[in-house]
Amino acid sequence: MNRKFVFAIALIAPALAFAQGKPTDPQIAHIVVTANQIDIDAGKLAKSHSKNKEVQAFAQQMITDHTAVNKQAGALAKKLGVKPEDNDTSKALKKGAEENVANLKKLKGAQFDKAYVDHEVTYHQQVLDAIDKVLVPSAQNAELKGLIEKVRPAIQTHLDHAKHVQADLGKK
Amino acid sequence: MKFVPERLEVAVGDRITWTNRDFVPHSVTAKERGIESGDLTQGKSWTWVARKPGEIQYICRLHPVMRGMLVVK
Repeated sequence: MNRKFVFAIALIAPALAFAQGKPTDPQIAHIVVTANQIDIDAGKLAKSHSKNKEVQAFAQQMITDHTAVNKQAGALAKKLGVKPEDNDTSKALKKGAEENVANLKKLKGAQFDKAYVDHEVTYHQQVLDAIDKVLVPSAQNAELKGLIEKVRPAIQTHLDHAKHVQADLGKK
Repeated sequence: MKFVPERLEVAVGDRITWTNRDFVPHSVTAKERGIESGDLTQGKSWTWVARKPGEIQYICRLHPVMRGMLVVK
């Protein structure tokens, strides 16, 4: 007998200060790519700074998954002929990311781990909110909307994983 | 992300195939039972044969909050 299991879907988007009005599809594409890149960069920083295996594994997962999403997003944008367009939300995301990285770079050891993981919890919660309240309702192209919907379960999984690591760090 | 179905009952001798329908890599891992698919990228499958009865809880090693249960009867 041959039984099939499938892994359901995965992955991403942004956070924070969502500008007024609905973003256009080119802007949504930019937001998605920016939000992914931010978490890849934070993951790389955590991998090089943290000595905690659980934190390192989580950081590697963020790098792997968000890289996969961006690859998918880039391929879709190319297929659809959508040129990602910078916008206020992307700028706000980048500014928030720069502040987070600047803060993390001042920290070491357990303090670094806690700050990184706490921020990951907040960030993924914000991304989920953004997907539900802004990105999916605003996306006009069905394939772009579909990509964002496919990404959502991964963000939820990342959030659950981050909370798990956060709880483990709290026990130490 | 999750295993679909999350719980599956099979008989001894059954072959079980997991296929990654996601675009990020996943694994099928149950350390204590020596089950390890390795990293499965998008579209890749891995098959395991149930040799002994029992309940096997497994995870995705890359996303440990993903859990599945295999009941071998």
